[in-house]
Amino acid sequence: MKLRRTMLYLPGNNPNMLLRGWLFGSDGLILDLEDAVSIHEKDSARILVSRILREGEFGSCEVTVRINGVDTEYWEKDLEAVVPFGIDGIRVPKVEGPETVKAVDEALTRIEKEAGLTVGRTKICCLLETAQGIWNAYDVAKASPRVDAICPGGEDLTADLRTQRSDEGTELEGPRRQVVLAARAAGIDAFDTVFPRINDDEGLIRETTFIKQLGFDGKSVIHPRQVPIIHSVFMPTEKEIDRARRIVAAAKEAAERGLGAVSVDGRMVDAPVVKRAQFTLTRAGFFEEVQ
Amino acid sequence: MKTAQAGTLESMDCVVSLTEGAAGSGLAVTVGGASAARFGKAMEKRITETLQKLGARDLTVSVQDNGALDIVLEARVEAAWRRMTGGDGA
Repeated sequence: MKLRRTMLYLPGNNPNMLLRGWLFGSDGLILDLEDAVSIHEKDSARILVSRILREGEFGSCEVTVRINGVDTEYWEKDLEAVVPFGIDGIRVPKVEGPETVKAVDEALTRIEKEAGLTVGRTKICCLLETAQGIWNAYDVAKASPRVDAICPGGEDLTADLRTQRSDEGTELEGPRRQVVLAARAAGIDAFDTVFPRINDDEGLIRETTFIKQLGFDGKSVIHPRQVPIIHSVFMPTEKEIDRARRIVAAAKEAAERGLGAVSVDGRMVDAPVVKRAQFTLTRAGFFEEVQ
Repeated sequence: MKTAQAGTLESMDCVVSLTEGAAGSGLAVTVGGASAARFGKAMEKRITETLQKLGARDLTVSVQDNGALDIVLEARVEAAWRRMTGGDGA
């Protein structure tokens, strides 16, 4: 299981951020060709991002690109410019139903074949930025095996709901629950939207704690300074780590003795709980204990 | 006379300006800005090679640099060239 606590947006026409973004320690990067790039710079950003994907450095970060929406003239050119370099995935904005995913899936398959890449290797994260998108979350999540995450919108979704963003995030509570539910039912990840107030650390901690409790795997990030704050919230507690260690140890011992069932603290533990415990240790950085 | 420009003066970027030259005039490249004194010659070479690969022949090229690495320089040159030739609009 890979960590996906933080996915940092990097503006697609900003060489400084594109080249240095991986140094900020996020689990993933989103090279952004959509909202971060003005309409007059779409061509230039596409060439820059393409060049940096080919020759740039990204450390161990998961590398994704947010393309322009399928309702624009840019999205296929975006895919053609970035997919051949073997990126991990793309983010598709304003997905409202499975037909959008299918169109993107077909384009990806064509480009992967032309580039000699394994068909299906480029994953899709769908941004659900309208009421309709949220309503169709499960169908979107199941529309292609490429879809490995869904993410609610922030500003666009709030506008579509005919309300405003509040400090408490009341307006996004329902959509967030819906996204987690749909993601879990479909067996994929759920990412949260960005926290826009970059100097409000307390607000960020509060929101991250809330979305972690809802079940989100991680959060989209708009500014590098938010990365360590989000990581610290996602860090398991001593108590969680201790319990996870005991579950993993018991599972190991049961496997060695050829036993199917595992008992921890006098309670039977099944395979999903063991998997979850392994994930807790991974999140805490104890990778070797999960091997 | 056709002209085109790409890039910004932000840190680690550059602005590439192209002007169409008379037939047979070749590529005339000048580099100014942050790295021009130390790396100007190497940058001129890289710009010329990039344009030749793209099939450019007769151009006046002016680059204002603010610490662009080679890959950024090449991307901006390519963007300006495509804007000039209309080969890959936004």
